[in-house]
Amino acid sequence: MSAIGVARPRLDAPDKVTGATRFAADGHVHGLLHARLVLATEAHALVTGIDGKEALALPGVVAVLAAADLPLETSGNDRTAEPLARDEVVFAGQPVAMVVAQSAAAAEDAVELVSVSYEPLAAVVDVEEAMAPGAALARTVEDEESGGDLESIHAGVDKGSEDEEEPLSGNVLDTITRKEGDAAAALESSDAVAEGTFRTPWVYQAYIEPQVATAWLEPAGTLVVSTATQGSFVTRNELARAYGLPLERIRVVAEPLGGAFGGKFALMEPLVAGAALALRRPVRLALTRAEDFQATNPASAQVTHLRVGALEDGTLTGIEARMIVDRGSNAGWGVEGITSALVVGPYRWQARDIRGYGVQTNRFTFGAYRAPGAPTAAFALESLLDELAQKLDLDPFELRLKNAVVQGDIGISGNPFPTIGAVEVLERLREHPLWGMRDSLPDDEAVGMACGYWPGGNEPAAAVCRVDPDGTLTVVTSAVDMSGVSTGFAAIAAEAFGLSADNVRVVSADTATGPYSGASGGSKVTYTVGKAVLRAAEAARRKLLAAASEELEISPDDLEVVDGEVRAVGAPDRSITVEEIARRTLRFGGRHEPIEGHGGSAQTVGAPSVAAHLSHVRVDRETGEVELLRHVIAQDVGRALNPALVEGQMRGGATQGIGWALYEELAHDEDGRLVTGSFLDYAIPVAEKVPEIDTLIVEVPAPDGPYGAKGIGEAPVVAAPAAIANAVAAAAGVRLYELPMTPPRVWAALRSSAGESA
Amino acid sequence: MIPAEVRYVRASSLDEALDALGEPDAKALAGGQSLLPVLKLRIVRPSVLVDIGGLGLAGIETVGDEVRIGALTTWDRLASDAALARPALAALAECAAGVGDLQVRNRGTLGGSLAHADPASDVLAVVLALGARLELRSPEGERSLAASDFVLGPFTTALGERELITSVVVPVPEPGSGSAYVSVEHPASGFALAGAAALVRPGGSSSVALTGVGARASLVPEGGSLDDVEIYGDRFAPEGYRRHVAVVVVRRALERARARAEEDM
Repeated sequence: MSAIGVARPRLDAPDKVTGATRFAADGHVHGLLHARLVLATEAHALVTGIDGKEALALPGVVAVLAAADLPLETSGNDRTAEPLARDEVVFAGQPVAMVVAQSAAAAEDAVELVSVSYEPLAAVVDVEEAMAPGAALARTVEDEESGGDLESIHAGVDKGSEDEEEPLSGNVLDTITRKEGDAAAALESSDAVAEGTFRTPWVYQAYIEPQVATAWLEPAGTLVVSTATQGSFVTRNELARAYGLPLERIRVVAEPLGGAFGGKFALMEPLVAGAALALRRPVRLALTRAEDFQATNPASAQVTHLRVGALEDGTLTGIEARMIVDRGSNAGWGVEGITSALVVGPYRWQARDIRGYGVQTNRFTFGAYRAPGAPTAAFALESLLDELAQKLDLDPFELRLKNAVVQGDIGISGNPFPTIGAVEVLERLREHPLWGMRDSLPDDEAVGMACGYWPGGNEPAAAVCRVDPDGTLTVVTSAVDMSGVSTGFAAIAAEAFGLSADNVRVVSADTATGPYSGASGGSKVTYTVGKAVLRAAEAARRKLLAAASEELEISPDDLEVVDGEVRAVGAPDRSITVEEIARRTLRFGGRHEPIEGHGGSAQTVGAPSVAAHLSHVRVDRETGEVELLRHVIAQDVGRALNPALVEGQMRGGATQGIGWALYEELAHDEDGRLVTGSFLDYAIPVAEKVPEIDTLIVEVPAPDGPYGAKGIGEAPVVAAPAAIANAVAAAAGVRLYELPMTPPRVWAALRSSAGESA
Repeated sequence: MIPAEVRYVRASSLDEALDALGEPDAKALAGGQSLLPVLKLRIVRPSVLVDIGGLGLAGIETVGDEVRIGALTTWDRLASDAALARPALAALAECAAGVGDLQVRNRGTLGGSLAHADPASDVLAVVLALGARLELRSPEGERSLAASDFVLGPFTTALGERELITSVVVPVPEPGSGSAYVSVEHPASGFALAGAAALVRPGGSSSVALTGVGARASLVPEGGSLDDVEIYGDRFAPEGYRRHVAVVVVRRALERARARAEEDM
């Protein structure tokens, strides 16, 4: 019986559900000190003094650390190089100092007594105003460019071309230009044109485990960092850069993760590592939720000016876009590259003129959030595609299908698309009964659709498979299990080796002990690390057959592995169990090499995943409340190694899309201070608010993935907000161009449209 | 976050509780569903928490033409108790069933919520519309206040420093009455952006109270317009929206109360 395609619970599910899992804040460390951050109360200011005297006088307080107290060996303004503000605060909530004490309570008491004096500077809070030449700068004290390699984790997209004509302020850190053909002319000769300005807010990843890391120095000098991170090797690189340490002196241990969605990269570790190095004591920083809201790295707000055109038969013609990404205070990287590449969607165009701008303002350091830059781009594009469909009297699916890319079509970076399931996904979704019902619904209800994709990523990876004396298989990788990938590895290894998945265990190693794995992010772990696991299992299997061949005196070519046994093909009674071989091998005087395999992967082509959605909504026109009645998602997953996990990713992504569409917004006041700093103000789609979500798994195997599987974690969120927006537009009779579509906004749109037609 | 240091005392009698509340900055702890969050955010820093959970102040019973509800009766009990099952009293169960989530409803109490006096408190509108009174107890003795005289402003009540609510007493409406509570909620906090409680009597007269729109919940003059009601706006829900939605929830509460009045025979 195949291990692939079987729905089984996650390997870590029992522990997580029963509370047995030891998360990063749970580990016991002897002599541990607790840190708490002093966060800036000004959005933009020079720091003129930090006075920790009163704080230090509290019993239990060991130190009050400022930037100068951390033994940093690099310059730069990113959060690794500048974990505590040096001379200038660039967002309200930025860590300015760190109190270290014997208990978290003492540290929290002490934080209130640290007095920071500021010389306020003009706060740059409007991203479009910030771009204009002569605008006040969000950062006045610059260190030389230094950003580490955090951008490359998230997506395989290029940066477009350089184009210096437009006069812009120094707040514009990056401009991306993607031009092909003459978009203006193409639009001019279109039969229908739709345009709009779309706004999306800052959005919090809202992982259930607030950020946490612990650092200490081993007696022999190694800096050990135990952390809730998405990538142990990436974190080690960042720490080496920050503190000028050789890689072998740093060991990063990734603990079980309580969700991350892109937000857990090198924010906590530079802080605790600095404190541990400065104090020579173990230090843990575990953020409270309130601190996590203020001081981490949510998704960028964005303004997209978009114009698209099509011919009467639905052929898409030109696309013009100006996409302004509010990077906040992130000096290292921004999503302008990704969002400007994805605004064309999984479609063919005749011509394009797209510009992306990464603009700094005095707001949070932006961070990645599940398909960064994609939901915002899809919201704009898919809204306008619906308008084109209406103007041309075409079915919305027809319009998408007419232009959906297939393998070989040239993508925006000039490379041909690999295998991609856009057509398959759209055709499958269109068959769902909900779409057929859309014209027979009550007046205040409607169904909307939208389609999106995520390019996926690729990064070399390695894995080890090892047979233990009990005949079970242990898979070792350094991949952080954020989305259930370990359970996928178990299925892959079981299938490739010839054991039941029940007899496969998966362990995560750290940077000192593990085979290499890139960060978990970008939708690539199953694709790349999974492939390495497959090869490692195959290599172990060859060792197994070699040993069995000697024991049975049968050629390895005539042997097969079935259910934990090696047997002669056609003569199953001539056999030996895996356990017996292992027992004979792993002992003093054993005759065979240990049954272990090492595997590596280096795919050079990514594996994009397409996901399309249907949303059934009811709009209460008197209150503006939007009720979600049903949701359907169809996604091309390559191969569902474990359908239960795949469906979980699809539902989770759709749900976060619901959050984008209706609920989530981090709001600041005019002085740049966060006003929605808790879950009392910041709404997320809790279980009561999420409707039934039907999941349609479409399998278009990825040629280079393990058993055709690929990364699927990000694609499901991309077009979900757009589908809901299209449904609301149909139900309310008026379109909203800003997310989230809160009741007051829906009502205001209804009112102004009623006013216009009165 | 971690609250500032605070002492804790579990009172074993009403007198002991009232005595402990005499200490400066003492605070009574009921279900903790309003108090603990503000404690953790360090918005309040009491010197001592006086836990009144063990004083037997929970329970619902009909005595003559009144329903007496103990101050520490939880939302869950209010949502499900048979004594409140009449269509005339439906507003109370309807409101209670919508508070917070399951965990909050199992711990949060009617008295605790009234004493906290959040301007967007749903249940205050209900007790106002139902014409309830609060029974209070202090070392000086007992007194009774109409609900409309109890809440004075945002987070401000007529409770003395060493005084506790012991019961909320709801007059049983005449047969043929109906009540309802309708609100538009803030999607994060669940508090009312505008909430209306309505009681309709057999003759057609009605009492309506509005919450969430101003400094405190208040009765709307019968047949009067909302133009004279003070309505606040904020970043999420501007004044124009709130004013409009207030009219909608009042209308819907009255409609639903009237429908229930027809069932209440």
